[in-house]
Formats: sequence, C-alpha cells, structure tokens
Amino acid sequence: MDGVAQRGAASWENGTLAPVDRLRTERADSPTPGLVEGTEPGAGQKSAMFIHAQSFEDLTAAAEQEVGREAELDQPGECGEDLKVLVGEQAIEEQHNSDIASESRPKEEDVSSETWRSHRKHVFVLSEAGKPIYSRYGTEEALSSTMGVMMALVSFVEAEKNIIRSIHADGCKVVFLAKSPLVLVGVYRTCQSDKELLRELQYIYYQIVSLLTLTQLNHIFKHKQNYDLRRLLAGSEYLTDNLLHRLDRDPGLLLSAVTCLPLASSARDVVSSSLQAAKSKSLVFSILLAGDCLVTLVRKKDQFLHHIDLHLVFNLVGSSSSFREGEGWTPICLPKFNTAGFFHAHISYLEPASKLCLILVSTDREDFFNMSDCKQRFLERLNKRSAYQALKEAVKCPSYSVEQVGIPELRHFLYKSKSSGLYTSPEFPAVYQSDEEQERLMGLYQDLHSHLHHPTRPLRSFYRCSETENLLAWVTSGFELYLCFSPLGTKALAVSAVNKLLKWIRKEEDRLFILSPLTY
Amino acid sequence: MSAMRVDAKVVMLGKESVGKTSLVERYVHHRFLVGPYQNTIGAAFVAKPIQVGEKVITLGIWDTAGSERYEAMSRIYYRGARAAIVCYDLTDSSSFQRARFWVMELQNCEEHCKIYLCATKNDLVEGDRSLRQIDYHDAQDFAEEIGAQHFETSSKTGNNVDELFQKVAEDYNSTAFQYMTAEETGVDLGQKKDSYFYSCCHNN
Ligand SMILES: Nc1nc2c(ncn2[C@@H]2O[C@H](COP(=O)(O)OP(=O)(O)OP(=O)(O)O)[C@@H](O)[C@H]2O)c(=O)[nH]1
Ligand SMILES: [Mg+2]
Repeated sequence: MDGVAQRGAASWENGTLAPVDRLRTERADSPTPGLVEGTEPGAGQKSAMFIHAQSFEDLTAAAEQEVGREAELDQPGECGEDLKVLVGEQAIEEQHNSDIASESRPKEEDVSSETWRSHRKHVFVLSEAGKPIYSRYGTEEALSSTMGVMMALVSFVEAEKNIIRSIHADGCKVVFLAKSPLVLVGVYRTCQSDKELLRELQYIYYQIVSLLTLTQLNHIFKHKQNYDLRRLLAGSEYLTDNLLHRLDRDPGLLLSAVTCLPLASSARDVVSSSLQAAKSKSLVFSILLAGDCLVTLVRKKDQFLHHIDLHLVFNLVGSSSSFREGEGWTPICLPKFNTAGFFHAHISYLEPASKLCLILVSTDREDFFNMSDCKQRFLERLNKRSAYQALKEAVKCPSYSVEQVGIPELRHFLYKSKSSGLYTSPEFPAVYQSDEEQERLMGLYQDLHSHLHHPTRPLRSFYRCSETENLLAWVTSGFELYLCFSPLGTKALAVSAVNKLLKWIRKEEDRLFILSPLTY
Repeated sequence: MSAMRVDAKVVMLGKESVGKTSLVERYVHHRFLVGPYQNTIGAAFVAKPIQVGEKVITLGIWDTAGSERYEAMSRIYYRGARAAIVCYDLTDSSSFQRARFWVMELQNCEEHCKIYLCATKNDLVEGDRSLRQIDYHDAQDFAEEIGAQHFETSSKTGNNVDELFQKVAEDYNSTAFQYMTAEETGVDLGQKKDSYFYSCCHNN
C-alpha cells in the first residue's frame, strides 16, 4: 500500500489534461448530464433526503474550526522518541484486574509483539484523564500506560495553548482528535492524508456518542473525571470494531454518501408510498434497508437525516443479529441530528430470513406498540402489491456488473451525486474477488480521494497508472467520479469513458438512485 | 393492532450474558444458538401464544439488554409488566448480586409484577459441579424471602424452560381471573365465573 504513491505514479493536475473543457463542449449538444450541482445524474428531483452535507469538506470543517491553532509536529528527529513510546511500548503495566469482560472478541494480542505493532491502523480512545476507553487491538488494560503517554502529549501541547494534530515519523502517522470529554488517537501506516484519518476518528467519536449521547458523556466526566467508561460501553466494542472495518471497505464512508438498492422506480415508488402511509405522530424517519443498501427513506417534513447518522444505523443493524428475533426497540442517538438526546428505534426484519430491515425512528420511547403497528400496516399494504415481489427479486441481486456499462477496460467505478448524497458502484469484478484485493482497490480510491480533497492543494482530476491498474478521479460541483481501468487502458480511453459512463448512469438513474424522496 | 394483542407483559431482567436471550430463543423457537455471543441492543419484543387449560394466553415477552448502558432506560421495558423473569448465571456469582438489584428495583417500582427467579446454564454445573457459584439453597431462601418462584434452567438442554413460562402463564391466568372478577363486579371472588371470563377475553 505504502509503495503505490511513490511508484512512478504519473499524476497530473488540473490543466494538463482537459477533460473539463472537452466535456463542456461535448455536452452542448448531448443529453449528458450537467456538471452543475443539482443536474448531475442521480440528483434528486424534489428535495434532498439528507442534510446538505455537500461533501467531505463540510464534514471535516467542524473539526478544523475547533482546532484553531495547530501545532503540526513534523520533526522525526525529536518526535521519534515519543513515537517509539507510542507504537513500541515495551514495558507493560501489570494487568489490572478488571471485571469487564473483554473475552468476547479476539483481541488478547500481546501488545509488545511485532504483529501488534505492525497493524496498519490502530485506534485508541481515552478520556481526558488518560483512562483507556477503547483500543482496536490488544486490551485496554495492557495499553493503559501507552494511553497515558498519549494523553501526556496532548496535555503538554495544550499547556502551550496549542493543539496537537499529528505527528509524522518513521513511515507512521499519529493523528489526534480532541473531542472533549474524549480524546481519540489513530496510529497509522498508510499514505492517507491527516484529514482523511481525522474523518475516520470522527466516525468513531460519533459511534460512541450514538450509544450514550454527548450530554450523558459530559455529565459523567463532569462528576467523575476518572470514570471508567468501558463500564457503559461494555458489549458495544464490536460496533466500533465493525465500523473501523467498514471505514476500510465501504465506499459510502469514504464518499460521505449512501448507496441504493437497484430497483425499478415504479416498484420503489410503491414501497415508498406504502411506508409513507404507515405514519404515526412520533415517527421521524422510516428507513428500509437491504443489507448495506438503502431501499427507501421517508422522513418527517423539514427533518433531515445526515449520512453519518445513517451509516451508524447501517453499522448497528449490520453488526448485530439481535434484531433477527422479534422486534428490537432501542434508544439511539443520531449525533449529527442532535447529540443531546435519544431517539427510539423500532428495528425489525420484514420476514425472518429476509435481508430487508425496517427501522422506524421515533421521538417517543413509550411508542413501541404504535411503531409495531406502523410496521404491520406497511407490511399489509406491501403484501397486496406486486412491487413487493419485485423488491424481493431485486434484493437477490443487489448489484450489477460493470459490463453492463459497455466500456472496455473499465473494471470498476464509484459515482457520487453530490446533491442527493447518493452513490452507485458496480460489484467487484473477478480480479478483485479476494478481500485483500478489494481492500487494496479501496485503498487506491482512498488515495485518489485524498488528492482530490487535499486541504491546501485540492485537485479537480487525477490520473494515475500503475502496473496493476489505471485510475482516474474527477470531481465537479455536481459529482465525484472514480474509475478503475485495466493496466492496458490509456489516458485517452479513460477520459472518453467518463462521458460514456455519465450517459449510462443518466439512462439508469431512476433505477440506481432515489429520485423522488418522500416525506410524511 | 391486529397482530399485537398481548395479554400479559413479561420482562426478562439480569446481568449481561446470563442467558436471557437464549432462554427466550429456546422457549419461542425451541433451539439453542451456538456461535459467538451477541449482546442484545436495547430490548427485543416477541409475542408468544401459550395454551393454559382451555385458553390461549399471549405473552408479550421483553428481552432486555443486560448492559449497564441501558439501566437508566429499563423502566420503559418493565413498566406495567405482570411478570418478571430475573435471571442469574449459576456459574457467575456477580450475576446473583445483579439479580438482587433487579428484585429491589421491581419491589420499589412495580409492586404488581410477579417475580420469577431463574438460574441459567444448569447444564454447565451438571457437567462440572465445581463451576457452581450459587448454592441452590441460598437462592431458594432468597426466593422465599421475596415471595418468588425459583427455577434452575438450561437453554442448552431445554431443561425447565417450558415449565418456567408455563408457570408464568398459569399464574397470570389465575390472577387475571381474580383481577377481572374483582374489577368488573367487585364481588363474587372465587365463584364459578369461567364462562363470563371467557366471553370477556374474546371481546378484547
Ligand atoms: N452452556 C450454556 N450456555 C448458555 C446457556 N444460556 C446461554 N448460554 C451462553 O451464554 C452466552 C450469553 O447468552 P445470551 O442469551 O446472549 O445472554 P443475555 O442475557 O441475553 O445477554 P445480554 O443480551 O447482553 O444481556 C451465550 O454465549 C450463550 O451461548 C445455557 O443454558 N447453557
Ligand atoms: Mg440478550
């Protein structure tokens, strides 16, 4: 992974190649979608479904504002020592006898071992008092002195009225995110930018807030600085583990977007309107998922769901089999909506072995039976209509093959419509069948994404060829596009493919996107 | 409300991983799922009809999560419950402490809720007696003290599970009968009221 960036990557910046201008002229007399936001393929026809989280920049902006003055420590000489302590701590405090069960996941790794140290992405969460809260690998107990050192670093820099953001040394990056009352630290061996890594830490922060609310977190630490938060998070570690896994694999988290189950718009409209009809006073969002794809989302007028919140819901549902039996009723904080309070979510599958999962988000924790009734009404309505059959068929093949697009040498792509916050992507082709290969491809996309969204030198387009594939990334105000071609492809071919692909997506858009989202 | 006519609300309480979900799983689906333990998130509801004599009573079972995270929220799950199955793990003494906590909580907040003290994972202590951390008689004494029924169960073998829920339903049935006659007529407790109850039940 590390090597890819350096290895003869023929990158070009905007201006050297002319896709923007060329396309503009071609568009004049073609039905190809606009490059302007709101007219791109997949743009919603009425209102957007999500909070206008335009882009990645919106997402990280908050963090940057909070940071204010930064102290970027970039001197391997001095910091190398600190870092060794961080990543190679040898002396381990004796295991504290904690009664918190950590047996449930296989993380009893020896934290002094080489394998532990060589993990690509470490994530640690600690309290401001330096108490361990979460560690991706190894038990928190074994790491408490390491986390103490991290906290010491944060406080040391803070004492000078600065904020520590990252340390770069020795092929390794340490990124800090202080989100009072929590501190998150990532130790990475990747070439992703600090900004991307910060985004990942933010996700972890939101994951924890979604379980407890920020109000409760603040309350706890105000009264007891030394509180061991693992008591309250016990049994939820796997949610954070899974979220980290998704961050490496799920294009939606990279693109700040959500993907839809491909479904004929006539069928989707029936499903949506059936869901719309099953409303109730306390109901804010009705979300129908098929695995990791959105089927439809109906929301209360004027209430928007943020894609981060939706990803947290995806993660919750996808990580747990506990909703398989009966109907779940659980408090959930949607931190992008409101960090202060809990919603209550009614979570159930439409049929016992089905992938279709319905989530009804209510403001009233006493309203379980009303929600249950809403689900029943939705099901009754749906059962009478042929659209349900179409939906079940669609769930069986939730993706499409890239061959349908008809562009030779095109292996895979990600296309995000910015105004709708939705993206589409074909299934992985045969060359990317293994998990490692898929993660490698995702790594390449992440790298392209980093370049396009570079904090000081953002690019509009980027082309790179390597021995294994050629890649093109392109961003306009309307969409973001990442294409992966076989190594036989040429730059010219890649550029001409963009137009062809956009046309294809336009043609298929009412199947691949939710164009007319509904409200109650 | 067609699908959700519930006669009696039953709540499962107890420390995390004592086996509440497994108990419900065994009772409702007659199976024991092996594989990695999955904590319940929030709570799960399932309605289960059960035959008591001539009648069918639908239990609305709330399987709550044992994690402390949900403790503040637990009232919404046990409020108005007619029966609480308070579980502890025979191989984990701290889970018995937690069971005591739940009993206190119920006694304070839900005086009409009948308590069933339920030991879980009996199969483990049958296999290896040294694993037992809660003496049968200690638990039995505690149960008598609080006026609760006491069961030792195993979701793995199914031992005593049906009996537990059957008992819950029967107790409900006989007290419901008393409640109803007392409420509806104010007198005639213990009189021959079967036919009356039957029709009343069907009008719900
Ligand atoms: N041997 C044995 N294991 C059991 C029995 N019942 C439950 N277990 C195991 O105990 C673990 C926890 O069981 P659950 O039923 O999920 O526990 P729970 O009380 O629902 O836990 P929370 O949902 O976290 O509150 C699982 O690994 C089960 O396989 C039993 O009767 N015998
Ligand atoms: Mg459970």
